Amino acid sequence: MSVALATRLIDVLGALLLFSTLLILASGQLFRAIYAVAVQSVFLAIAGAVLGAATGNPDLWVIAGITIIVKAVLLPWLLIWVVRRIQISREIEPVIPINATLALAAGIVVLAFRLSASLGPVRQAITGNALPVGIAVILLGVLVMASRRKALVQMVGLFATENGIFFTAMAVSQGMPLIIEIGIILDVVLGALVMGILVLRVRSSVDTDIADLENLRG
Amino acid sequence: MTSGLLWLTPLLPLAVGLAMLLVRDRRVLTALDLVGSLTVLGLTLAIAGRVVRGGPVSALGVFRADHLTVLFLLLIGLLAVAVSVATVGWMRQELARGQMRAERLRYYYALVHGFVATMLVTVLADNLGILWIAMEGTTITSALLVGFHGDKHGLEAAWKYIIVTTIGISFGLFGTVLVYGAAAHAQGGVLAGAMNWSSIVAIAPRLDPGIIRIGFIFVMVGYGTKAGLAPVHMWLPDAHSQAPTPVSALLSGALIKCALFGIIRFHTIARAACGPQFSQGLLLTFGLVSVVVATPFILAQYDLKRLLGYSSVEHVGIIALGLGFGGRLGTYGALLHVINHGVTKALVFLVAGDAIGRYGTRDMRVIRGLLGIAPMAGTLLLMGVFALAGTPPFSIFISELMVIRAGIAAGRYVILAVFLCMVVTIFAGFIHRVGQMVFGTADASVGREPEARLPMLGLLLLVAAMLLFGVYLPAGLDRVLAHATEIIVG
Repeated sequence: MSVALATRLIDVLGALLLFSTLLILASGQLFRAIYAVAVQSVFLAIAGAVLGAATGNPDLWVIAGITIIVKAVLLPWLLIWVVRRIQISREIEPVIPINATLALAAGIVVLAFRLSASLGPVRQAITGNALPVGIAVILLGVLVMASRRKALVQMVGLFATENGIFFTAMAVSQGMPLIIEIGIILDVVLGALVMGILVLRVRSSVDTDIADLENLRG
Repeated sequence: MTSGLLWLTPLLPLAVGLAMLLVRDRRVLTALDLVGSLTVLGLTLAIAGRVVRGGPVSALGVFRADHLTVLFLLLIGLLAVAVSVATVGWMRQELARGQMRAERLRYYYALVHGFVATMLVTVLADNLGILWIAMEGTTITSALLVGFHGDKHGLEAAWKYIIVTTIGISFGLFGTVLVYGAAAHAQGGVLAGAMNWSSIVAIAPRLDPGIIRIGFIFVMVGYGTKAGLAPVHMWLPDAHSQAPTPVSALLSGALIKCALFGIIRFHTIARAACGPQFSQGLLLTFGLVSVVVATPFILAQYDLKRLLGYSSVEHVGIIALGLGFGGRLGTYGALLHVINHGVTKALVFLVAGDAIGRYGTRDMRVIRGLLGIAPMAGTLLLMGVFALAGTPPFSIFISELMVIRAGIAAGRYVILAVFLCMVVTIFAGFIHRVGQMVFGTADASVGREPEARLPMLGLLLLVAAMLLFGVYLPAGLDRVLAHATEIIVG
C-alpha cells in the first residue's frame, strides 16, 4: 500500500473516529453510547490494519486484532452486562444540555486542528491528521465524562479518550513497541473491571449510581 | 547480578502478595507482611549501595536505577517497613471495632504488597511506556484499597479516585506518545530503546521544541492529577481521607511522590529540548496554585484525615515550587522535601489513625486530651504537626528554607511573598486545631487501652528520620541528592 493512499485512508478513518465520538456525545440513551464506542473501536482497529499494511510492521496487525477483541467486543459487553445486572434507567441525564455539549465539541475540534497546525516539522513524523484528531477525541472524551453524571457513561467517555490516544500512538512513526501497547490495554481492561466492581458494590448497598454520590465535600 | 537485583525488587513483593492470597491465618499474614516489607527495604538499600559506588545500573533497557531512582526507592522501602510495623497495632484496633472482617484480611495484605510492587516499578522504569503502565497499576491496586471497607463514603472516594486519575494519566500517556514521536522523528526512525528515558534525554537538545512543549503540558496535567497538584487535586482529600489509615500513609507519603517522579523525568527532557524557562514556569504555576488552594481548606477543616490530605496538596505544591525555582539549590531542596514530607506525612497519618480508632470519630472538635490517654501518640502527633507546619528542628523546615532561598536567588519575589503568607496562615491554623486535640481532658467514653509497644517502633523509625534530617544529613544521602540534582539540572 502506498504512503499517499495510507495517509488518505487514515484521514478518512480519523473523520469517522471523530464522528463516532460526536455520536457518543449526542446520544440520549445509554446503549447507544456503548454501541457508538464499540463502533469507534472498530474504526481504530481498521486504522491499525491500514498502518500495518502501509509500514509493513506486523506489530500493528496484532494491535488491530487485540483492539477488535478487547475494545470492540469485550469492554462494551462488560458495560452492557453491568447495565443489565443493575437495571438502571437507560436514559442519560446530562448535566449540561446535549445541544450545548455539541456546540462545545465543535469548538474543541476547531481548537485541536488550530493547535496542531502550529506544529510544523513534527507533523511529518505522524501520519496524516492523526495528531489533531487524537487531541480532539481525547478532549471530547473528557467532555463526555464531565457532562454526564452516570458512572457507565463516564466509563464510555474514558474508553473514547483512550481510543484517541491509541489512534495517535499508532500513527507515530511505526507505533509504540508491541509489549508496551499490550501492557496499556491490560491496564485499561483491569481498570474497567475495578470500575465495574465499584459500580456493582454501590448499587448493591445504597441503590444509587456511584457517580451520583455526593457526600464528600469541602 | 546487579540487573537481577532490579528485576527482583518489584517481583518479590508481587510474589509475597500472591502468596498471601493462599494464607488465612492472621499471624502468618502479619509475619509475611513484615518480612516482605523488610526485604523490600533490604533490596532498595542494596540497589542504593550499587548505584552510589558504581553509578547507574540498567537491566535490558527496561529498568534503570540512577541516583534519582535511588532516592525514591529508599522512600518507598522505608515507608513500607514503617507502615507494616504500624499496621500490626492498627489491624488489632480495626478488628476489635469490627471495621475489618477477618476473612478478608488476606485480600487487604495482598493488595498492599501489589500496590508497593507497582510503585517500585514506577520509579525503576527506564522505558517511559512502562512508567505509565506501572502508574496506572498503582491506581488500580490502590483504588481497591481506598474502597476496601465497602461503606458508602469509601466507595464514593474510590470511584472519584479511579475515574479522575485514570482520565488524568491518560493525558500523561498522550504526552508520552508525543515525546516518543519527537524522539523517533529526531532519530530518523524507530531504533531500539527509542522509548527509554535514558536514550531520549541523550538526544533531547535535538528534539523539536514545539511538540515537546505540548507533550510536557499533557504530562504535567496528567501526572499532576496523580500527584495531587491543584487544580486537578479534587480526588485527593477524598481518597486519602477515606482509605484505611496505613494505605493513606502510603498514598500521601509515597504514591504522590512517584507521580512527581514521572513529572521530573519529563521535566529533564523538556529542559534540554526547550530551555528551562518553559517547564519551570509551568511547575511554578501548578505549585503556587496548589499552596494557595490548599490554605482555605486547611483552615476550614474539621475532619482530621481530610486536613492531612489538603496538607499533602500544599506540600506537593512546595516540591513543585522548588523544582520551578530551579537551580541547584531549588532542585536539591525539592528532592529533600520529597523525602521529608513522605516520612512526616506517613507518621502523622499513622498517629492520626490511632487517635481516630480511640475516639471513634475524625471530627477534630470531638477529639480532646489525646496526651492524657495516649501520651506517646499525643507527643508524636504534636511533633509531626509542628514538623508539617515547618518548624525547626524538624526536617521539613530545612527543605522549605532551601526552596525559599532558591526563590530569592531566582528573584521570584511575588511568588515567594504569596507562598510565605500562605505557609504562615497554614501554620497558625494547623497548630490551633491540633493543640485543641492534644491538650485538655478526654471524655470518659474514650478508649483508654494502653499503647502497644511493637507498632510504636514503626512510628519511632519515622520520627528518627524526621529529626535526623532536620539537624544532620548523612553523607551518603547528601551524595545521592547531589547526583540526583545533577541529573535534573545537568
